[in-house]
Amino acid sequence: MMLFNIVLKSAWHRRTSLLLTICSIAISVCLLFGVDKLRKETKSSFINTISQTDLIVGARSGPINLLLYSVFRIGNATNNVSWDSYKHITSLSEVAWAIPISLGDSHRGYRVMGTDAGYFQHYKYGRGQPLEFDKGQPFADVYDAVLGADVARSLNYKLSDEIIISHGLASTKFSDHENKPFTIVGILARTGTPVDRTVHIALEGIEAVHVDWKGQGQLPLQLTAKQTRKINLQPKTITAFMIGLKNRINTFRLQRKITEFGKEPLLAIIPGATLADLWQSISVFEQILLAISGFVLVAGLMGMLTTLLSTLNERRREMAVLRSIGAHPYHIVLLFVFETLFVVFAGCIVGASLFYTLLFPAQLLLVETYGIHVAISPPDPSQWGLFAIVIFLGLIVSLIPGLIAYRRSLQDGLAIRV
Amino acid sequence: MIEPIVRIEGVRFRWPGQLHDLLHIPDLALHRGEHLFIQGPSGSGKTTLLNLLTGINLPTTGAITVLGTELTALSNSQRDQLRADYLGVIFQQFNLLPYLSLLENVQLPCEFSKLKKSKCGDVRTASKKLLSRLGLEESLLNQPVSNLSVGQQQRAAVARALIGSPEIVIADEPTSALDSRNRDRFLDLLFQETKEQNSTLIFVSHDKHIARQFEHVVQLDQVNTAGNDAS
Repeated sequence: MMLFNIVLKSAWHRRTSLLLTICSIAISVCLLFGVDKLRKETKSSFINTISQTDLIVGARSGPINLLLYSVFRIGNATNNVSWDSYKHITSLSEVAWAIPISLGDSHRGYRVMGTDAGYFQHYKYGRGQPLEFDKGQPFADVYDAVLGADVARSLNYKLSDEIIISHGLASTKFSDHENKPFTIVGILARTGTPVDRTVHIALEGIEAVHVDWKGQGQLPLQLTAKQTRKINLQPKTITAFMIGLKNRINTFRLQRKITEFGKEPLLAIIPGATLADLWQSISVFEQILLAISGFVLVAGLMGMLTTLLSTLNERRREMAVLRSIGAHPYHIVLLFVFETLFVVFAGCIVGASLFYTLLFPAQLLLVETYGIHVAISPPDPSQWGLFAIVIFLGLIVSLIPGLIAYRRSLQDGLAIRV
Repeated sequence: MIEPIVRIEGVRFRWPGQLHDLLHIPDLALHRGEHLFIQGPSGSGKTTLLNLLTGINLPTTGAITVLGTELTALSNSQRDQLRADYLGVIFQQFNLLPYLSLLENVQLPCEFSKLKKSKCGDVRTASKKLLSRLGLEESLLNQPVSNLSVGQQQRAAVARALIGSPEIVIADEPTSALDSRNRDRFLDLLFQETKEQNSTLIFVSHDKHIARQFEHVVQLDQVNTAGNDAS
């Protein structure tokens, strides 16, 4: 108790340098927490891109490729799935619901996805959140479109605006389906997933814009939007489809059944598992971030060590005085250990406070710009673990000046060499 | 014959790995209430002797007996406790911890020694009494020590050495920072206060002028035969 009092008063005496040390530790801790939080939230946001979909089925290619184009709208399908196969598989008794996906067109850089009404009903993301409409409702007509939040905001669209869909992913004048404009009937609320960057139209809409196209070129005979309505717009192929099962127990069985499907080479993936695989391959980045913040912490502790060591000489008298009035050498070590613990602890508290203070504005910013929802929650076990590591490292660091002072106080004794 | 309060017998000291003794004192004894002046030029082993007397270092050979206890027979922490309980130390300078007030500095030894604390009764009252006897005004008590003059600091150092009436007071060149007028006043004060408490005083200095005021004087360069051995 008495020693602690001495530590506090001695520390207060040198408060300027110690406050700076506390600040540098606080910044390291704040950064460490921030990176850790960002890492976890990015991961959970990534893993939660799609939820409650049991299988994604596409033409046979790599699982990650299928996941990328069906969920993240990255890359292209190598082949399509025939409508017959889709009908056949989704009529199996295990299947509860299915969402067809037809990709390939775009609107001003945003992918267009053809689907059906089931999409708005069954597609889930995050922890099972359904899609919600910010404005409007699902498409009902062939030429209706529903925009993701990012599309609407960055292109400044509102309900009942008309948009032109381009053929393929390049937006050139020659490839526009300009004779068949789509009307915006709905804008989705932000999800923080690739849905935000997608233009949704009905499968029939996809079919309609392509009736007078063959491959990459327009046919000489062009049909108007009105004329097209009269044609049977039942698609012959789709790009992929998502399946929800009545009972998840059947996932692997159905997956095998689809992979062994005789009429067409198909691939079925379990989204969660493939997402985890994909995350594995890009998680090097998060490891690097963590390593960097670790180094920042080490730099902070080194700064503290420097401060402690630089005061060591001027504190020699202090040690000799304490020794002369009967302090044991271990008191001298404890003096440094207590002081360091105090500094590190204060650094942790200030750092954590700083972290939470910054988290509030950051939370709004992240939701607004990236759609990543960062939960503000009390430190989780791994963050308490970080605390413990920081304090433990501080303890180790404190032993260095402590032991030097100990050795010196044994040698110096009562002699004060200034 | 009365047991001497400090006895040094055949003491040699050298740091491990050194070839020559820093200190060799064949025999030295000091009785209760005596005032001993140890005079020696710089490098004559004064500090080494003080470290041995206070039990911070142990002699390489020989025996030092303080208050009937052989120091080598004690553990490190027992020696620290002996110092805390029975010794008061005054340094040349920088006696006071700069971050404590004058009063806190004086009370500090009682925090390390229950014996001193119990002898004081109420530590705060005892410290105040001692300080006022040493001519330090009440208004200074809660001031940071950096506001005090050197003379005031040295008097505060005496108060800290005397708090809890230790058997032995050791002073290491306490007057070297003072001018001659202050030095004499300081010595008078020190004698008076140690007499009051019946403490034994060991006073170390290079200053020959103050030797005449002590009843026992030891010339360290004569007692210490280490130099002779080495040559």
